[in-house]
Parts: sequence; structure tokens; C-alpha cells
Amino acid sequence: MSDPSVSALIAEETQSGVPSRSLWSEAFRTLRRRPDVILATIVAVFFLLVALFPFLFTSKDPQRCDIAESRLPPQWFGGEHPFGTNAYGCDVLAQLVHGTRPSLLLAFIVVGVSVLIGVTLGTVSGYYLGIVDAVVSRIVEVFLVIPLLLAALLLLSLFRNIDLGDGPVSTIAQPAIVLTMFAWMGYTRYVRASVLETKNLDYVTAARVLGASDLRIMVRHVLPNAIGTVTALVPTAIAAVIGTEAVLAFLGIGVRPPAVSWGIMIEEGSQWFTGGSEYLLLFPLGCLMATVLAFVVIGDNLRDALDPKLK
Amino acid sequence: MGRYITRRVLQGFLTLFLVMFLLHLLTTLAIQLNGNPAQAFFGDRTPSPSQLAAVETRYGLDDPCYDQLGNPCIGPFVERLGDYAQGDFGESLRGRPVTDIVSTAAPNTLRLFVVVTITWLAIGMTLGGIAARRRGKASDHGIRGLSILIDALPIFVLLLVYKYIFSVPLSRWAKDTFGSDSLPALLFKPSFSPQHAWATLIVPGILLGLAGSAAFIRLVRAAQLETYNADHVRTARSKGLSERHVSRHHVVRNSAIPVVTAVGIVFTEALAGAVITEGMMNIYGMGGVLWKAVQDSDVSVVIGVVTLLAAVTVVVMLVVDVVYAALDPRIRYE
Amino acid sequence: MKTARLAAGLTALALVVTGCGGGDESEGDGDATVKLTLSQDVDTLLPMDSNVSDNISVLDVVYDGLVRYDPKTTKPYNYVAEDISSSDNTVWTIKIKDGLTFQNDEPVDAEAFARAWNYAAYGPNAMGNNYFFERVAGYDEMQGEYEEDDEGNVTVTTEPTAKELSGVKVVDPQTLEVTLNGPFAGFATMLGYTGFFPIAQECLDDIEACSTQPIGNGPFEIEEWDQGQSLTANKWDDYSLEETPDFSRIEWTEYSGDSDWADFEAGDIDASFPPPAEWQAAVSDPDLSSRMVEGPGAALSYVGFPMYLGKPFDDVEFRKAISMAIDRDTIIEKVVPGRFVAADSWVVPDGVPGGVAGTCEFCTFDPDAAKAALAKAGGWPKDKKLIIHLGEDPESEAIFKAVGDSIQLNLGIPYELDPTPDYFDRRSARDFTGIMRANWFPDYPLNENYLAPVYASGDPKEGNTNFGYYNADFEALIQEGDAAPDLETAVTKYQEAEKVLASDMASAPVAFSKNVMFYSDRLDNVVLDPFSGEVKLRLLQVN
Repeated sequence: MSDPSVSALIAEETQSGVPSRSLWSEAFRTLRRRPDVILATIVAVFFLLVALFPFLFTSKDPQRCDIAESRLPPQWFGGEHPFGTNAYGCDVLAQLVHGTRPSLLLAFIVVGVSVLIGVTLGTVSGYYLGIVDAVVSRIVEVFLVIPLLLAALLLLSLFRNIDLGDGPVSTIAQPAIVLTMFAWMGYTRYVRASVLETKNLDYVTAARVLGASDLRIMVRHVLPNAIGTVTALVPTAIAAVIGTEAVLAFLGIGVRPPAVSWGIMIEEGSQWFTGGSEYLLLFPLGCLMATVLAFVVIGDNLRDALDPKLK
Repeated sequence: MGRYITRRVLQGFLTLFLVMFLLHLLTTLAIQLNGNPAQAFFGDRTPSPSQLAAVETRYGLDDPCYDQLGNPCIGPFVERLGDYAQGDFGESLRGRPVTDIVSTAAPNTLRLFVVVTITWLAIGMTLGGIAARRRGKASDHGIRGLSILIDALPIFVLLLVYKYIFSVPLSRWAKDTFGSDSLPALLFKPSFSPQHAWATLIVPGILLGLAGSAAFIRLVRAAQLETYNADHVRTARSKGLSERHVSRHHVVRNSAIPVVTAVGIVFTEALAGAVITEGMMNIYGMGGVLWKAVQDSDVSVVIGVVTLLAAVTVVVMLVVDVVYAALDPRIRYE
Repeated sequence: MKTARLAAGLTALALVVTGCGGGDESEGDGDATVKLTLSQDVDTLLPMDSNVSDNISVLDVVYDGLVRYDPKTTKPYNYVAEDISSSDNTVWTIKIKDGLTFQNDEPVDAEAFARAWNYAAYGPNAMGNNYFFERVAGYDEMQGEYEEDDEGNVTVTTEPTAKELSGVKVVDPQTLEVTLNGPFAGFATMLGYTGFFPIAQECLDDIEACSTQPIGNGPFEIEEWDQGQSLTANKWDDYSLEETPDFSRIEWTEYSGDSDWADFEAGDIDASFPPPAEWQAAVSDPDLSSRMVEGPGAALSYVGFPMYLGKPFDDVEFRKAISMAIDRDTIIEKVVPGRFVAADSWVVPDGVPGGVAGTCEFCTFDPDAAKAALAKAGGWPKDKKLIIHLGEDPESEAIFKAVGDSIQLNLGIPYELDPTPDYFDRRSARDFTGIMRANWFPDYPLNENYLAPVYASGDPKEGNTNFGYYNADFEALIQEGDAAPDLETAVTKYQEAEKVLASDMASAPVAFSKNVMFYSDRLDNVVLDPFSGEVKLRLLQVN
């Protein structure tokens, strides 16, 4: 699992050009022509649909489990349990479908919020430098030094007795907060570097001379330059969070049962992997890998398309 | 250069201090929110207040600030800093000195990291290099596809499949063929053995390294691509130097810079993999120790071990920065 | 025989050559090493502080107790003790065999027991086995009193006034006189437990060293404990009593909780049991299953009810409904095969004196009767979730997820698991809002131990701390049992007390642990300790 900071770093090494409007449209034109991108987009959209409208894909309640029907092998379509049942007798297809939402929602929230934090802090520290920059740099370093898993465990055990209810957002709130806390540093570093590069360019200086406010300069002139590659990082980062969720579930932290997520299903499936019930692991693992692959392919191609140096 | 290094060292100390303070605050808050870890000492039984008090005193948890939510407990923190300065890293909740725990666990994790790093570098440099040189060709696409696939496969699935499907028959076969204490038999041992620390760590290390190598492959590829297009390489090429010479002397050397940088950052990330690998292969290492300590709210161990790890990470990052600065003439250290 | 052995004890070399079991054959076997596993959680080898099955099983070969238990019947017989007697079950006289020594040549005498017991009973030492001494006179004076204010600050109001148990008297080097707070017929039964082992003065002088490098009086000496990784023990050549195995060395590898089954299959360790997924494959393998031993375990997993919350938990019909909705047999077969048996009593049947099967009438799966009972109890509030509180242990989480599923499916009560690391803390603080997974592991083999410590409180108003249970008849029967003139009468009284629990449905028994072990073809005569489930090392033979 590559974490976003590493991906950001990769981008930092490769990126240095300034994407313009025409580059964007050209990028999309390039992407539209690539079969792997089209396939990846179809996969991603499919799982997004599953996450949004689970009832279109199954009519079963994932929480209704009859122990007497434990570990029935897949009966495929037409059977009562197309993908079989797990050790507790719950329907695997229903769990898979309902487990999509927490997994994807978590990824989108984490990446969205950390991009927001990263862009804000990166811009501010790159633009003002001085004391602001020193403070931000120190904070970034502190968060880079503390291992993610340790922090996750510490924070999740800290709030373990706090009940947030069982809405779709609240069951993933805790892992979302923790993962976000350790996902923003890469974006900050990258945006800061990009801002440093652009802020002394002629047109920015010109805007300043014309009396534009700091905020206006940042939003209108400096930021658009950084946004391009940050966008390219997003799909890869989403993939990374989906993978990390599985690791957290495997370690028994993160999304907690009875809420179902792919990570939890993989963890349960891995226990029965050797006992002749490989499907319990293979179904959720397959979904996870397909989604991760799709997002990484989109991200990779987006990055290539947006990076003029690699053309 | 000297001033740059001095400044980085000072910054490193500051970071270390901040990490310790943050952890102190978090663990303190954990105790205040969740109740006394001394209770864990008694498990199923309800201790008498005197027993509880005795245990609290023994492990320095008797300060009243631990019972007041929101109190930052500066007193115990300063005390701990003083103890650390004197080389006293405290005891675990079970009365074992933290230094003792670390001296048993750290060598195992270090060995694991050595194998992991070598695997990373070997796979990353080779595959990344090939992909860069054959950009756009089938092998490039193949390698990129492979790296994405590796990225998508969780490490614990890899270890699980190895341990339960491959290691038992392989180790039995090796024992029958080469003898029970032979190197092949040890290589495929399903679990770590402290008597043969290196041999039994190689396969888990390679697997963990393999799982983390995807980022490296892409990093090396991207970095080499960039240098291929750089002016000095073009110049070298136009001088008529052979492609092999160019790739060895200019491209590989220059692309080493981002690789060095990444080693620093990936170091903390590898710890996550280490928790899982150590757990599944029964390696007594830092990841597992830390894991258990956090679960038990064992403040001394958590802060002691993390401080140590953070110190190592800070040093690694510092060295990386200095090496980076030395390698890349474009960086000015003002 | 006795004098011969005494002489042998004085001349160490002679013993090595002739051997206790005698014969050349045991010489050959004597070089064998047994490779076993140990949980990484083991943190001490101090007898006074050892209370988990792992260190108990290690100390079982490192120390000898006053009594030992028959592996089949769990009945105690004298071992280090020559004789244990009492006329009134309150004052006990213990005679100790002459001439026994520790591994450092200190004598194993009355003083050795007294110093261990005093150390364990002294509150501030915070020993894990402290509570075993609460029946001994003078225990309370050794605990002291503390006060806790609203902010949770603990202040000492009274320091312990005594450092020694007034009820333990050394009459002469071989005689110990123990006075209890009141009559207790089962006292002699307790004396074989780890917490009652003697310790050497050298050990007391440096407790820290002794907790990792114990000085025992048993047949094996600890060689080295590389904490977190491995523990090794060698045979003690000067051992003078009869129960000692033929092999010469034991190597324990520490495991961090993950299964050691793969290592067993690869032939790296000698005894193990499979994870649930591997169970079916293991029992259907003719070779493996021929090397399997199983026996009844002693631990009871049960559902506790927070009766202190009132409706519906204090309604006996509700408790019956929950109990009858649980499909115990299927859950065990599907989720944790081979490791448990469905429970229908509060005391393990045939495992301890007084334990019989079938005392729990409502422990059989009957969804219709369960629904009827729930209706009688007034039903369950719509849309409210039943919380199941439990500790953070993967195995019990698995079982109780299935228990919750059963309740949800058969009674229509939605549930939620609440695994918490502060389980015990929260339970004693009555911080629970739903039913709880509870587990009782007995400390000594007597049916009383399954009953009194769990349900008795003597507090008619609040009931017992954990569940809020109180029944005057139950309390009276326990007291009658304690005061009974002999063990048999006592056991019968305790059995009657269990019947009171049954009619109150004070809790819902779910499963008794079952001890299972597969062993390598090097081992023979593998017998499991009914209590710890570990291999009885003293009976083990190595080919």
C-alpha cells in the first residue's frame, strides 16, 4: 500500500510544468482514447453505483444471519445465496454490496478533507514563508515521524467508548478522522513547492503591483497552477485509503462490526481461507483489487496526461 | 554547509520534542478518558484500593492529574524528560525495563528492515530502470501493471497464502532433503526463530518488501525518465557516449536522489507492514511491542519506544536531507 | 524408599547415574527435548503472581505444591505435605515432608510456605494471587484502607497494620498451622494451586530476579527466559520426590496469539491445536487424528444479565427467552469446532466434585418456547438494540456474534456487539446497558468455586456487583456448605445452591471449554490438565 505522501513525493519529483487550460482539455482528449482508462472508469463508476444504490443489487439484509446456513458455497445466480454464505450464515453478496459504501465513502472523505487541508496549508506557508512556514513545516515533520498505525491505534482506542450512533457516516467517522490526520502532509509539501515556484512569476508580480489582495492572488493566480497535479494524485490516494481500510480492519481497528466493509469481509475471509472456503476471501478481495486497480490506472494516466515533461 | 547541518539538527531536536509532547498528551488523555491502565494489571479480579494504589505508585501513575480530564500533566512529562536525560527509560506495566524490551525487539525489526530495504532497492531499481528505458513498450506497460497489482494486494493476504499454503510443504521437503537445521529448512520455517534470526527473516522480509516495492518502481521510473530528458544527459549522449555508459553514469546516479529521499519517508510507513508481518510470522519486534503497549495503555513503553523510533526517523530524514543537498547542486542551503 | 531417596538427594551424582525411575532405558530417553509453545503475554514466573494457564503450566514442573491433583478425577492428594488435617475446618494443621530442598539447597519447610503466603497476602505487593488468602485470618489487616474523592484522587487513610498473616503460624520447621476466618471444608483442595507454592528466602530477597529466574523445588530448573521469545528448562538432577518425567529439557517458544498450527505441521513444535478453519481437515486426517487427545475443560462462557437495570433484565422469563434462543450446538460446530461443548449447567459436569450435566432446564435451543417466554416477559421495545458487552478477544467475539445473530433471528431483537478493552472495569462499575459475555475460570476444583465467587454477595439491597443478583436461599446454602463437617456434605449443599441459580436463571450458560491437543509422533502418554488445558508435563513421555 503506497501512502499518499509517497505518491505526492513521486509527483513532486516528476512534476514541474504548469498545466494550462488547454492542457486540461487535451489531457481529457488523450484519456478518452485509452482503452485501459475507459475500462477503469467503467469499473469505478460501477462500484460508485453499488455504493449509492445498494438495493438495486441485492434484496437481502446483510445483517440477517442464520448460523444453520453457515458457509454454504456459492450457488451463483438463480440460487438463494448467489455468492454463498459466510461462517455466520450471512449472505455474502448482500454483505459485499452493502460493504461498498463504507469503503468508498471513507476513501472519498479522507482524500477530500486532506486535499483541502493540504492545499490551504501549503498555499499559506508557501506564500507567506517566515514564521507561518516554519510552524507548518514543523507540524508536517511531526506527523511524518509518527507512524500512522500507531496513531490510528492510539486515537481509535482513545475514542473507543464514544458512541457516534450508526448512520453511514458515523460508523466510519473514527477511521476517517485518523486517516485524514495522516494523509494531508504530502499535499502540503507539494503545494508549497509549487507556490514557491509560481509566486514570483511575472503575472503574479503584476497582479500584486495592481493592488490585488493576498487572498485574491492565492486563489486566482497561484493555486490553479498547483491544482493540476494534486488532481492527478487523488485517484491514487483513494486507492491507497481503500487498501489501508483493509489493513485497519485486519488489525481489528477501523470500521467496526456489525457494520460491514470490504476490509472486515477480507479479515473474516482470511480466517477461513484454508478451510475450503476460499470464496469468502476471494470475493471481497476481488472487489477491493478491482476498485484499487481502477483508481490507480485513472490516476496514473491522469498524471501522465497532465505532466508535459513526460510527453 | 556546516550552518545548514546545524540548523537541521536543531530542527530535528525540536521535532523530536514535539513528537514526545504530542504522544504524552495523547496517552494522558487516553488514561483520563478510559480509566487507569493499572486496572489492567488485575484482569478479571477487582483489586482492593491498596493494591491499585501500589501498582499506580510502582508505575508512576499516581499523579492526581491523570484523574482530571484536560489536565496536560506537565509534571510527569518533565519528570520523564529528566529520566530520559539520565538514560532511564522506565519500566513497562509488567515491570520489565523498556531498554530491555527494546534491546530484544529492535534487532529483529532492524534485520527485517534490512531485508525489506534491499528488496525494495533491488526490485525498484531493476524494474523501474527497465520500464524507464523501454518507455511506452510492452515491458514498460507490463511492469507498471505489475506494480499496480502489487499495490492492490494487501500484505496480509500475501503472508497468509505463503504461511498456510507454501511454507509447510516447503519446509517439510527441505527438512527431508537437506536436514532439519539446514539453511533451506530454516528459510521456509513457518515462524521466526530467535536462534536463527537472519535465516528465518529472509522470506517474510522479501514478502513485505515486495508489497511495498510498487511505489519504488514507479518512483525510479519517473525519476529516470526525467533525467533521460535532462540537458546534461542529452549532452553526454550527443558526445557519442554509449547508451550503457549514459545510463550507468548519469541517469542512475542522478535518479538516486529521489530514491534516497523516499527511503526516509517509507521508513515510518514500513512500520505498519512490520506490525502485521511480525504478528503473523511471530517475530518479537518493535511493531508488535508497540501494538500491544498501545492496547494496554502502557505509557512508558509507548513513549519510550516511539521516542526511540522517532529519533531514528529524524536522524534518517536528516541524513537524507544532507545527502540530498550534497548530491543535488541545485539545492542551496541558506 | 524414602531414606534411599534422601541419600540420593545429598549425593547428586549418584542420582544421575542410577536415576529415579531406574534402568538404562531412561538414560537414553533422558536426552530428549520437548518443544512447546507459550503465550507472549506471560510476564512473570513468580508463583504468588502467576494466574494464567501458561505460567501455571510452566510452574507445575518448576515447583511442587503441598498437594497435587489427580489428572483424571481432579481429586487432591498430598505431595509435599505429609498430612493435612482439621477438626473444625477452621484451624488446619499441615505437616510437611522432611528433607526437601529448593534448587538452591534452602530447605522447603514451614517457613518457606509462610513467607510466600505473607508476601502474596500483603496488599501493597499487588500479587495476582492475593485474593486466595482472603479466607485466612489476618488478611484484612494487610490490605489497608484508601479513600477516593470525587475527582478520583486516592489518599491513604490507613496503611496496612500487619505485614504477616496472623492466621499462619510456623509451629516447628515441618508444621504449619493455618487459622481461617470461618470454616471452609475445601481449604485443603486449594493448597495445590500455584498461589500456594513455597518460595526460597533468596527469591524473596530479590523478587525481580526471581520473577524471571525462579528458584523452584520441582523436577525442572529454568535455564533461561528470553522474554518475548523463548523459555528453556532443564531437569534438576537433585530432585528427590517421585513425579518426574524422563525427558531432560523443555523448550517453550513464545507466540503472540497467532496460531502456531503451521509450525506444528512443519514439525517444529510438539503439541498444538488447529484454528477453526483447519479443524475439519485435522480430524479427518487419519494420521493426525490418531495423535489427538481431548478432555473436558473447566471454563464456562455464559451470558450475564444486568439485573440492576430492572426491566426487562430482572424478569426471569426474559432471561429464559434469551437462553432458549441460542442455538449452542450449531454455533460451536460452525464457529469454534472442537474447542467447546454446549453448556447446560453452571458447574462443569464430571470435571469437578459436584458438577452434573443438565441442571439448566432452559439451556436447550427452542425458538418457539423462547418467543413465548419473551411475550410473557412483555416483549422487547421496538427498534431498540440489545447491546452485548464483551472483552476484546477474537474467539469470544466470534462466538457472541453468532449468539447475537441467534437472538436476532429467533426473537427479532436487533443487537450490537460492544467489545471493550475496559470490560472488567466497566462491569464492576455497572456501566453496561445490555447483556454481557462473561467467562468463569475456576481457581480450584470444587463446585463451590463456580457459584459463590460469581453470584454471592451478602448484599440483599444491591445484589452482587457484576449482575445485581441476590437470593437469600442461595447465600444460606453456600454458607451451610462452607460450614459442613466434611467435603462430601459440603458438595451436596453447593449442588442445592446451583439449583437455586437454575430456578432464577441467574445467567445463561453457553459453553464449556474443551481441551484439545494434537501432538507429534515423538510424544506418548499425552494427558491434558483439565484446568489449564495444557499438556501434563510430568506424565509425558518422549520417544
